[in-house]
Amino acid sequence: MVNLKLPEIIRNYLALPLLLAMVATGAHAEVVVIVSANNHVTSLTAEQTARIFLGKTTSFPDGGQALPIDQIEGNAIRDEFYTKVVHKSATQLSAYWAKVIFTGDGRPPVELESNVAVRRAVAKDRNTIGYIDKRYANRSVRVILEP
Amino acid sequence: MVIGNYFIALLGFFVCVANAQAAATDQPQVTFGGFGSLGVSHCTMGSGDYVVDGGIPKGPGLSDNLSTVNDSRIAGHMAAQMSPAVSVVMQIDAEYHSGNSYEPEVEFANVKYVLTPDVYTRVGRIALPTFLESENRDVGYTYAWIHPPVEVYRQEQITHNDGVDVNYRLQTGAVGHSIKAIYGRTTIATNDPPALTTLSSKHLWGIFDTAEFGPTTIHAGYQERDTNSGYILTGLAGTWVKESDLSFGAQYDPGDWFAISEWIQRKSTYKNNAMYVSAGYRVKKFTPYLTYALSSQGSFLSGFPPPSPDGIRLANRAQSTASLGVRWDFRRDTDLKIQLDQVKLSDNSNGFLANVPANVSLYGSKFYVVSAVVDFIF
Repeated sequence: MVNLKLPEIIRNYLALPLLLAMVATGAHAEVVVIVSANNHVTSLTAEQTARIFLGKTTSFPDGGQALPIDQIEGNAIRDEFYTKVVHKSATQLSAYWAKVIFTGDGRPPVELESNVAVRRAVAKDRNTIGYIDKRYANRSVRVILEP
Repeated sequence: MVIGNYFIALLGFFVCVANAQAAATDQPQVTFGGFGSLGVSHCTMGSGDYVVDGGIPKGPGLSDNLSTVNDSRIAGHMAAQMSPAVSVVMQIDAEYHSGNSYEPEVEFANVKYVLTPDVYTRVGRIALPTFLESENRDVGYTYAWIHPPVEVYRQEQITHNDGVDVNYRLQTGAVGHSIKAIYGRTTIATNDPPALTTLSSKHLWGIFDTAEFGPTTIHAGYQERDTNSGYILTGLAGTWVKESDLSFGAQYDPGDWFAISEWIQRKSTYKNNAMYVSAGYRVKKFTPYLTYALSSQGSFLSGFPPPSPDGIRLANRAQSTASLGVRWDFRRDTDLKIQLDQVKLSDNSNGFLANVPANVSLYGSKFYVVSAVVDFIF
């Protein structure tokens, strides 16, 4: 049984022409960094975000635990994030993690397969931080960085 | 023998706990990986061998026209997360060493216990963080060069410590510090004296800080230990010598290019310094780089018996190297590197060449080394 609430229907129908317009104009995916709407963090710098995703810190600047969620290799938004926020190419990132793993210093973040999967995981857990295509952001998450 | 027992005990512990954990959670808790390098080099010096580590008994030059010993290795790495606080890592390396073979050795194996998000301690065999690239010196894929600059990285032959360390991560404003204190002992085999010799060190301790702010990394360290090197350095058997290293390094890597420099002052019965500067530029999949490295002549310290002929030779290894190379990331997790070194020996030094026949002086000589390597991780 389909039981859509009114605001959701409006959102979906409003989003459709917008998406079509973006596809038609070949709009470039814009990466945004997100936390759960329940997280108190309101903004991070690119530098602070990079430190979390490189495993150099396990906490947000306010002291709360920060658990990064990555996207799988091959997702365009992943390259966008690492180029714009972390300033590392895929090769440099691979060499970086080889150093961390083979010195026993840590492991790369867990990876999820899509923008939606990351958004859902981040929305559910206030300790997590992720990045998605801006078009997939909704009220369940808070955008804390638009690089 | 002790190492063998230690290895077996730790491996048993590792497998038991990993199995128990996997059964309890139904999730794989153990990760396996590895890395390797296949390298070949040629040296134009016909009167000595160019070796990048004191543990390597022969190499390109006098012994071989083309040699694979300097830059070839394969290593397996296992990590097991037993609980949020406890993990185990083990790395086994097969590379050419003092036994004239590629027999695998335990490079490190330790149990890590996370006390707080910013403090952890490890017990077991732990890589020694003397330089910026010390802990990953065997993982060619992690840096641009064929191998770290010989003049500096050969100053400290000890690469791991059997003991304990404590690590503390500290964020002060934009600067993140990673502070490490170590204590333990170690035994290594070296061909430097030049006969194969086992060197034991005890009361090994050190403190290291790696500070990062933005693209800048600064590394500083001090370590010392008592080593039974007296026989080699002074000819007096049973003499323990306090050896120490003071090291500094700085790296700037904004992404498109990098610059790195390191310096070490080493003291045993003599004192000497070594340094290098290196820079590279990343153009798509290519990283051309230049390096200049220098090691000074040692000056003997007071308070020790007169140096033996081997002691004099080891103190007089001053040389410099200018290197030009390129790294090509030609496919995923794999690179190809080519490097040309011009090595100049100082006026009273045979440098770091091995197997130079007695009575042969190569003082002031100049020679070239050309090397190629494929590095990979898996």
